Amino acid sequence: MPLKNKIEELKKRKEEVLQGGGEQAVAKQVAMGKLTARERIIALLDEDSFNEYDMFVEHEARDFGMDGKTLHGDGVIIGTGSIYGAPVAVFAQDFTVAGGSLGFMHARKITKIMDYALRMRIPLIGINDSGGARIQEGVNSLAGYGEIFWRNTLSSGIIPQISVILGPCAGGAVYSPALTDFVFVVDKISKMFITGPEVIKSVLGEEISQEDLGGAKVHAMITGNAHFYSESEFECFEQIKKLITFIPWNNTRKARRFEPKDPKSVFNINEIVPGDSKQPYDVRNVIRAIVDDSDFFEIQEMWAGNIVIGFGRLNGETVGFVANQPMVMAGVLDVDSSDKAARFIRYCDAFNIPLCTLVDLPGYLPGIDQEHAGVIRHGAKLLYAYSEASVPKMTVILRKAYGGGYIAMSSRHLRADFVFAWPGAEIAVMGPEGAANIIFRKEITEAENPDEMRRKKVEEYKEKFANPYVAAAKGYIDTVIEPEETRKLLLHALEVSSTKVADRPFKKHGIPPF
Amino acid sequence: MSLSRLDNKVLTAFIPGTIVDVKVKVGQEVKQGDILVILDAMKMHNRILAPVNSKVKEVNVKSGDRVCKGFIMVVLE
Repeated sequence: MPLKNKIEELKKRKEEVLQGGGEQAVAKQVAMGKLTARERIIALLDEDSFNEYDMFVEHEARDFGMDGKTLHGDGVIIGTGSIYGAPVAVFAQDFTVAGGSLGFMHARKITKIMDYALRMRIPLIGINDSGGARIQEGVNSLAGYGEIFWRNTLSSGIIPQISVILGPCAGGAVYSPALTDFVFVVDKISKMFITGPEVIKSVLGEEISQEDLGGAKVHAMITGNAHFYSESEFECFEQIKKLITFIPWNNTRKARRFEPKDPKSVFNINEIVPGDSKQPYDVRNVIRAIVDDSDFFEIQEMWAGNIVIGFGRLNGETVGFVANQPMVMAGVLDVDSSDKAARFIRYCDAFNIPLCTLVDLPGYLPGIDQEHAGVIRHGAKLLYAYSEASVPKMTVILRKAYGGGYIAMSSRHLRADFVFAWPGAEIAVMGPEGAANIIFRKEITEAENPDEMRRKKVEEYKEKFANPYVAAAKGYIDTVIEPEETRKLLLHALEVSSTKVADRPFKKHGIPPF
Repeated sequence: MSLSRLDNKVLTAFIPGTIVDVKVKVGQEVKQGDILVILDAMKMHNRILAPVNSKVKEVNVKSGDRVCKGFIMVVLE
């Protein structure tokens, strides 16, 4: 056969695979309001950058009518491409082929691209759209999930791993996304749960829809399993592309440097934080007043809003921001906000992203439900993460920093490299009311007018301790600064800490309070 | 089963506190982000905002009231 004919045959074979699950299945996918796996890859990656591998892989199952059945690509597409020029490895499950079910070869394709991503030290993006295990392939299918989880764990902290949930992702399958760094969900399309509505109904008799049990909003607002929520697949891909610009290819590199830009003048740092410490404000505007181009890329925006996390740039360099949010639940630390911040801090530390912490909080949230939900164990994660992090750590105390909250929020004692405080900062062991009630209990109870005496003593305490100068006198904060000096000082701090050495004793790994 | 944690039209106190101010009346139209109630708790005058454009259906607090955790302060339609 002449070469020309062989090339024709190759084209024909490719053409066939590109049909996916065929016209009908594709029409069904479209009717569900979803893009096909190939359309998704094209929308996500740079134009013409995608190279597919294992296109001609076939399953080897022989039982339950699988013999002789053709499943193109075995229901998953793998390959490499780029996003704004940064190389990425991708897999996308194809729901049009046997419902994207995970058989042995399907899993082997996924693990192949995972191995490739780890070997080449490039980010991995997984697009999940699958009915689950391929029942006909039995334990081989389960083995496939296990192999994926093992590789997720092996790659964790070495390459960025991103999961995009664009369809059902149920049972064991959800644990792969849970092991990755960032999970993206899209309204009405993403569904994640361990046991679905049918099982819940048959075992417990409770009825709930897929959407209410594990839809995009549930994971973006209630469980915290998702990091990014969007209304459409295209919006979701834009978020992923933006995220890729903020993070490095792997843990031996720094994130890409961008052209430095000044913050936008609409964010006037002198006018955001009210002088009265009882007045709330949006701390994200303080971040916007500090970062390049006022561009703050928030993560887990809809969950545990009492702490804000995300990326911004200082002088072109990516910095991870952690900030108490006074306008949500007074900015308290609790179970969820501790979990949220701790995981983000560990992400930044693993990927050489300096941390900037903005402090304004009344402390930990009191309450029986918090104590019984294990706020001790969860709150400890925050202490652990900050103490462990060896990237440059910069702290700015904007206003309140009391008690355990002061220590937890990247204090000097947990080895912050730079601690700045604004003149309105109140750094003390506890709030004036509480402190005065304890210290002056006798005077207050024995006074002729206890309320009057309490007010007097609270004022006395406030004057003496609710300021930054007691902490400054001990060297716990490095300097008291004017708000408008903040950016300049952070840029300087970043510059002088670029060669930071943080030697730690050898250990296999620590044991954080998971 | 109702999905109460996503049902953002029932505004409850996240912690015990004192009502400092009530900005709305029953029947009043509110826009997303409008202040409904100010709750003094955790050393903060917490602004309880309208999560969506709606109309006020119930107001269960007045200035000076002490509320317990989970107390339903305002219900929107």
